[in-house]
Amino acid sequence: MIELPVLNSNRSPSPLSGPALVAQLLAEQQAMSAVEEFSRWHELDAKPTSRQYRQLLPATPPGPGEQYAFEVDLDRCSGCKACVVACHTLNGLDESETWRDVGLMVGGSTSAPVMQHVTTACHHCLEPACMIACPVNAYEKDAVTGIVKHLDDQCFGCQYCTLACPYEVPKYHAGLGIVRKCDMCSSRLAVGEAPACVQSCPHEAIVIRTVNRRQVLEDAETTAFLPATPDPQITLPTTSFKTKKPFPRNLLPADYARVSAQHAHWPLVVMLVLTQLSVGAFCVGLALDALVVLPGGTSLRPVHAVAALGFGLLALGSSLLHLGRPQFAFRAILGLRHSWLSREIVAFGLFAGCASAYAAAVYLVGRIDFNLEPAIEPLGWSVAATGAIAVFCSVMIYVFTQREYWSFSRVGVRFTLTCALLGIAAMWLSILAAMIAAPSLQLTELVAKVSPLLCQALIVTAVVKLTWEAAIFRHLLFRRMTPLRRSAMLQAGDLSRVTLARFALGLLGGVMMPLFILRQATEAGNVTGVEFVAATSLLFIACLAGELLERYLFFTACAAPRMPGGIR
Amino acid sequence: MSTTQTNGAGMPPARDFGRYIPLLLQRTGPLTETLSLTPAEVGNGLLPQQIQGDSLTTSVCGFCSTGCNLNIHLRDQQAIGLSPAPDYPVNLGMACPKGWEALTVLDAPDRATRPLLRNAAGKLEPVSWDVAASTFTERMKAIQREHGPQSIAFLSTGQIVTEEMALLGALAKFGMGMLHGDGNTRQCMATAVVAYKQAFGFDAPPYTYADFEQSDTIVLVGSNLCIAHPILWQRVMRNQFDPNIIAIDPRTTETTMAASQHLALQPKSDLTLFYGVANLLIERDWIDHEFIDAHTKGFDEFAAFVQAFPLTRVVEETGLAPEAIEQFAQSIHDGLRVSFWWTMGVNQSHQAVRTAQAIINLALMTGNIGRPGTGANSITGQCNAMGSRLFSNTTNLLGGHDFANAEHRQKVANVLAIDESTIPQEASWPYHRIMEGILRREIRGLWVVATNPAHSWINQETARDILSRLDFLVVQDMYHTTETARIADLVLPAAAWGEKEGTFINSERRIGVASKVSRAPGEALADFHIFKLLAEYWGCGEMFRRWESPAAVFEILKQLSAGQPCDVTGIDDYEMLRDLGGVQWPYPAGSEEPATERRLFADGRFFHSDGRAKFICEEPRPLPEPTTSKYPFTLLTGRGSVAQWHTQTRTAKSAVLRKLYPEELYVEINPHDAAEQRLGSGDLVVVSSQRGAVQGRALVTPAVQPGQLFIPMHYEATNRLTHPSFDPYSHQPSYKACAVRIELASR
Repeated sequence: MIELPVLNSNRSPSPLSGPALVAQLLAEQQAMSAVEEFSRWHELDAKPTSRQYRQLLPATPPGPGEQYAFEVDLDRCSGCKACVVACHTLNGLDESETWRDVGLMVGGSTSAPVMQHVTTACHHCLEPACMIACPVNAYEKDAVTGIVKHLDDQCFGCQYCTLACPYEVPKYHAGLGIVRKCDMCSSRLAVGEAPACVQSCPHEAIVIRTVNRRQVLEDAETTAFLPATPDPQITLPTTSFKTKKPFPRNLLPADYARVSAQHAHWPLVVMLVLTQLSVGAFCVGLALDALVVLPGGTSLRPVHAVAALGFGLLALGSSLLHLGRPQFAFRAILGLRHSWLSREIVAFGLFAGCASAYAAAVYLVGRIDFNLEPAIEPLGWSVAATGAIAVFCSVMIYVFTQREYWSFSRVGVRFTLTCALLGIAAMWLSILAAMIAAPSLQLTELVAKVSPLLCQALIVTAVVKLTWEAAIFRHLLFRRMTPLRRSAMLQAGDLSRVTLARFALGLLGGVMMPLFILRQATEAGNVTGVEFVAATSLLFIACLAGELLERYLFFTACAAPRMPGGIR
Repeated sequence: MSTTQTNGAGMPPARDFGRYIPLLLQRTGPLTETLSLTPAEVGNGLLPQQIQGDSLTTSVCGFCSTGCNLNIHLRDQQAIGLSPAPDYPVNLGMACPKGWEALTVLDAPDRATRPLLRNAAGKLEPVSWDVAASTFTERMKAIQREHGPQSIAFLSTGQIVTEEMALLGALAKFGMGMLHGDGNTRQCMATAVVAYKQAFGFDAPPYTYADFEQSDTIVLVGSNLCIAHPILWQRVMRNQFDPNIIAIDPRTTETTMAASQHLALQPKSDLTLFYGVANLLIERDWIDHEFIDAHTKGFDEFAAFVQAFPLTRVVEETGLAPEAIEQFAQSIHDGLRVSFWWTMGVNQSHQAVRTAQAIINLALMTGNIGRPGTGANSITGQCNAMGSRLFSNTTNLLGGHDFANAEHRQKVANVLAIDESTIPQEASWPYHRIMEGILRREIRGLWVVATNPAHSWINQETARDILSRLDFLVVQDMYHTTETARIADLVLPAAAWGEKEGTFINSERRIGVASKVSRAPGEALADFHIFKLLAEYWGCGEMFRRWESPAAVFEILKQLSAGQPCDVTGIDDYEMLRDLGGVQWPYPAGSEEPATERRLFADGRFFHSDGRAKFICEEPRPLPEPTTSKYPFTLLTGRGSVAQWHTQTRTAKSAVLRKLYPEELYVEINPHDAAEQRLGSGDLVVVSSQRGAVQGRALVTPAVQPGQLFIPMHYEATNRLTHPSFDPYSHQPSYKACAVRIELASR
């Protein structure tokens, strides 16, 4: 037995008790005096980091035809995800904001199972879709380093880049109303310090390399990026993933089977549907004019023009709601040379101008002492032309993303038919409004004359459109999990209620109501009174609501391309 | 499209004219500033403003046993951020996601900020500390008066600092007269403790982390190092000898993927495997006779015993190919520096202690111990499991002593200047016996500190039923929302890691300092102060007058350690620990300045009185719950991801960590079984055992073998399924294997 010294036990008698003791302990808990003591100690001793991680960086800056790129050694990536949190911390990102992701791929056989984690961030592509899509030039690709940098103060929060990037890299920050993304820690690289992810990887799985742009192009031609990832041809990503292990053919992301509804983008839903309604309404008006020569004396033409304009302006107003920072909407002209969104904004601006002029002319003709009649037809055609261009730009915005669900034919047919369908429906609305506002015999005759045509045209359009949309479900029969099958699965699964409502409303407004009006017209000779008001109102509301839901599905059921995700 | 893209790539941006209209093209501004990085005023590199401190300190991380050191960035003496400490010998500038987010989880809306007492209406309502402490004392004493002093017990933890553990253990047993108290370390490390004690004579993990870098052959048993201890995997990755890594695990994991050999054996057949390999090594004379003769005892009996494990038997019981087993033996023989490492796959078993000892036997018989890159090494779980093993005063008397040993009791009584008669003469009941005691009404009051049995204890539905039978349940925790706190009668709000100071002991026996760098919310108090307060209210404050601060207690702990294998009397104080980057025990007074990395048994002397290590072996036993036609699958449980820690009371509080793990419980199932059950990845499934059922999403993957399922342990429901069987020596629960069935949820 060793003799042990007994500690001096009379150091602090402090026989406090009860609430006094509680108060003392609470005070002690809040006191940070000890911190002062040891922090000062450490300050004196602070020495420079022994590791600057220089071996993880290129020795020299990129030469001509070269740029920086991430290189991930998959054999060293163990899925710890320290890179994600270090990037979050060392870049001062907000609470749940992350710029790097780690996915998991699984596959192989029972005798040789494979699981492989994959860390990914921005690929600093040769042809960055985010940059090309950006309407305000908030992206720059550095001429020397090739780093794709986002100018946060320039961004107005349209989020188009989040749709354009096939890798889900730009992330929208709702609080700030802008997008932010990885810039390869360019300020760190500039002083010879490794990016946050590189310096925090315990296994040195991420390094910065200089890559030859020619080589990136060639690689994109011949090799897949990683299993089940977007085609590298879209943007020419520069990240390289290396491994010594051969991947089994069935290696797939852990979230491969998962289908989840995407963001709805409600302001865009409203904007797209109403701009198409407006363009369609003007065109249908012009067509009717050309076909049956609307008598100038009726109130239908001005009412219809004003209604079409009203919907158009409402749509443009709604589009502003989609911007995180709408006060900078004017910046959209900057991207005209490359961004379909810029072009769309400008085209719709022109459309709104022409449409306003046209509506004003139609409204004022006969009311002022100036013969406006000769101006009306050219103005009308300018409205149709700018409208068609604008809708084409709308189509291209989505086609640009190269998502299969948003192919040129799928989006083009959809948007064009929406124009036609809602254009006709809007004409019914205008007829109703005109008959209530300024009923006249002339108008009644006119309605009797055009209603069979309008009804038949609406039914044909609606049937074609609904059939076209329903055609997606044929992909449920295919075994391969294509993006289109995912869209079909979503609409038949998680989004089935909306899908059902969409088709019900489409049939109601586009088929049943026109049939009803048609029958009333043939059986009763004409359509009047409450029945007419109810039928046309229901027709319009059902068509509009149906199209809004269609557009909601257009966004939510579109399977977004992405890098391999984790288990969810 | 393609034309647009080509235009875009080499585009001369429209900024040329925009330059003159800053409103049109704003290249910098307040939003850009938000993310601008500036050179660190203290510390290194570029940092964002949010974590740009005016001074730095360090603190050992409070999650796992790796014991990484973190630089805490301070502004006005308050922690505002952290980064991994670059020069600490453990983590070398790295941290895992939990470490990076260690401060974030302190700031949560469900932090316990006031004591809560269950009122007449059955609701927990805030009360003052005075009421809380008085209620604690009155209710616990009333139970003791009626049912005897042993009718109240405590459950401690591996998550608080050693000084607090020691105070809790001393207060409960010497001050309040409790006999029974155990820790949640029973769930993770009890096996290693018993295995080492019996084999080496003291609970002494012999290694240092540098061994990972120095081995040429690394054997990992039941350890998903990549996920459970990512910073230790870093040390494996730094190994310059291109090591042969052999991973033994029924399931394919990140670690087995990185291994050169993966032995995917049948669950819990590892004991048979190791005996069979020992037999092969002996048969082929691939053993170190010199070492065996000089430093061990019982080899002949062991050699005779393993003759009953010919290759054919091993093949049959493990399901492994004979070549794989022979290759394993060959690798051990070929290796110049073979290290064996084990974690929960071994410790949580019905025959855990013998399995751990079978690993120790392999190291002993091949002379792979005491040299760099060798060892039979248990990797611990919690940040202070090792502190708990020495100083929690539960199974062992303070300082790794024995309650039953009169000399030890006298020594402790001397050091503490207390009456020797207050020290019980027997060790506490283990955890499961305490639970059984509650069921039998032998225990009626329970004090749970920094652990969450209502989530973590095996066979959860029964466990919750048992806890609900208590007359008085006190939970002391940093959150008032843990599954256990929600059913407590009294909740005591505790300050967390970072809000108090003390020392942790990591897996490689390294003592490091955790610093107080943040204010606790509301009226939360450091566990240390809660214990002090309760001591005063109980009326035994006098006994702990000298335990005035963690630093003062550290002095007491040093004295308690004197003369023990874990002697640390050579450590001056916390400042020395900070200065040296932690100190590994032993470090007796008078030693030279310690090397950064130290291992045990270099001289071949073990802690048994004869200086020899013991070979211990026993016939393997079948699985306690074999599969049946009704429950045809074996359920494996384990770590899910790096971002999840145990019952998730802390890790679920970080928005970033939440993004890094699956939100919903998921079940891994082999494609063969999935096809048979007609289910696919993402399908909602129900897994049930005889004890309960859970719902989750299927993940079809060949990572699990046919006939097996895997569910991560972090989800609250997982332990509804687990089967309450225990190792007979360590009493550690066998979480890893039970019989279940799986079906589609809608069926």
